[in-house]
Amino acid sequence: MISLQRASLRYGDILGLSPTSFDLGPGGGITGLLGPNGAGKSSLIQLLCGLLPPSGGEVRVFGEAPYRNPLVLARLGLVPEGDRFPGGMRGDRWLRMMGQLSGLQGRALDLALQRALAITGMESRAGQPFTSMSKGMRQRVRLAQALLHEPRLLILDEPFNGLDPEARLQLMDLLRMLAEGGVRIIVSSHILGEVAQLTDRILLLFRGRLLAEGSVPEIRELLDRHPVELRVTAESAAAVARWAVEQDELVALRMEDGGAVLAVRNPRTFLPRLQEAVVEGRLPLAGLDPLDLNLDAVFQFLTKDNQ
Amino acid sequence: MPIYAPSLPPRPEPGQGLPPALVIFRFDLRRVLRLKLGRFFGFVFLAILLILVAQLYVNHLMASKAALADIRKATEAFLPQGARFQAGLLNPFMITILWLQVALVGGGLVARDTLYRIRPLLYAHPVTPLDYLGAKALFAAGLPLAVMLPFILLPWGLSLAIAGLHGPVWPTAPLYLLPAAIAISALMGAVTLGASSLASSPKAGFGWALGILLGSSALGGVASGAFSDARWMALGLGTLSKAWPRLILGLQTEQGWIPVLLGTGFHLALWLTIAVRRTRPSEATI
Repeated sequence: MISLQRASLRYGDILGLSPTSFDLGPGGGITGLLGPNGAGKSSLIQLLCGLLPPSGGEVRVFGEAPYRNPLVLARLGLVPEGDRFPGGMRGDRWLRMMGQLSGLQGRALDLALQRALAITGMESRAGQPFTSMSKGMRQRVRLAQALLHEPRLLILDEPFNGLDPEARLQLMDLLRMLAEGGVRIIVSSHILGEVAQLTDRILLLFRGRLLAEGSVPEIRELLDRHPVELRVTAESAAAVARWAVEQDELVALRMEDGGAVLAVRNPRTFLPRLQEAVVEGRLPLAGLDPLDLNLDAVFQFLTKDNQ
Repeated sequence: MPIYAPSLPPRPEPGQGLPPALVIFRFDLRRVLRLKLGRFFGFVFLAILLILVAQLYVNHLMASKAALADIRKATEAFLPQGARFQAGLLNPFMITILWLQVALVGGGLVARDTLYRIRPLLYAHPVTPLDYLGAKALFAAGLPLAVMLPFILLPWGLSLAIAGLHGPVWPTAPLYLLPAAIAISALMGAVTLGASSLASSPKAGFGWALGILLGSSALGGVASGAFSDARWMALGLGTLSKAWPRLILGLQTEQGWIPVLLGTGFHLALWLTIAVRRTRPSEATI
């Protein structure tokens, strides 16, 4: 369905995406585009949606070059990032125009509108102006817009930004349902947890480069090699240090007033053991703060590995 | 889990449905018609039109009633029936108000899409830049033309109805005035489209359009002063829009045909080029 062969994108002198190659086969499924801001996720999406031609290499979607290609555009749906709608405009009017742009009209448009609103749970609320909708509702309208013409490829750019946990879970369920129905979905995000909950395959991007590609467990394994810093505050810093040095995952230890900063590998095996020690009273824990669990730190680590 | 009921219609094939330019045009038109701004300008234009029609009726009355012969002589000075009167159907006051309306409405045409990042979404559909710009241009030029048409056709129809071929409005007046209205509408459309493309919000678009209107007039004034030649005034959009009806009706203007044609061509080329460049897909990044 999607094939990139050394596809790159330049904005003048700035490299948005280094030569990148990967393939996504036909059929449903969710693929995560993971990377911090400026990683090249939006550049890749723009190539896939035919908004920009590749500066080099080749991009194929449904077997065709997508740039300004109506045969491709008619079969894909885009949910761009951002939450800005013209004030006072009603959701259903906006959706109607988008449906017409996809070639729908008359009864076919009415049915498509009903179906998209039913899928997104917005049947009774689409007639409201955007200004009176919650952020989650506006996101659903945006998604309904992309579903009107029954796309086989759905691309969502940072769809979870600003959504509350409940709206986030609802959107995830919705995307899973669509993927089970045969729609290939690409979701970009800079939050690992979001993507990991949702996707069966991840593309890791950093500074315009595709760093890694694989299933969630494979990517997790890769990420586990990155030492994570944890600040452990306790009544006795010495007790923390005594316990920590016995752990295989410990990479470094730095003493501080009222605690210690531990650098550990495989936090997924380390943290349950820490919990166990606290429950058994072996560790007088008062607080635990992850210092660098953000994606940038992980990517910095991966980049070092790739140099 | 299947999500599509088998009874639903198949998805549209490429090329089906309404032309994208028409869809975008209709959407913009409906949006503007819902604005209170449209009602305000509608009232203003209606008032001007009523005054024009009343003037026409009084003119006819003076000419046709023998008892009013003395008054007719007195009023001929300000109610002439020659080419100047025909040109006055597209009177400068109405054109000035129209520039204001077009700047207000047209200034937001592209700028609103820029502000709300609508363009990438449109281009992710089977919509070409030509569709997009064509729809916006059709609206930007169609609006002033639609406002000017009643000012030409209503007095013309009324004059024919009350006085036949010898009425105050020439039977052939639309043949002169419609091309003038089209030239003025094209200018207004190109300028507002260019201004809106340069702006990042509808308010800024209005500012740009007004700035271009006033700035071009100022530039024309400076150039004509510097070169001591009134033809340079044809750089000004206000001058151009007032000159077109007069030129087509064969009246004397300070500028003449060639400067007006050059000035119009310059503005059309400049502002349309800017609009084309600023609405390319590469400018509509997500």
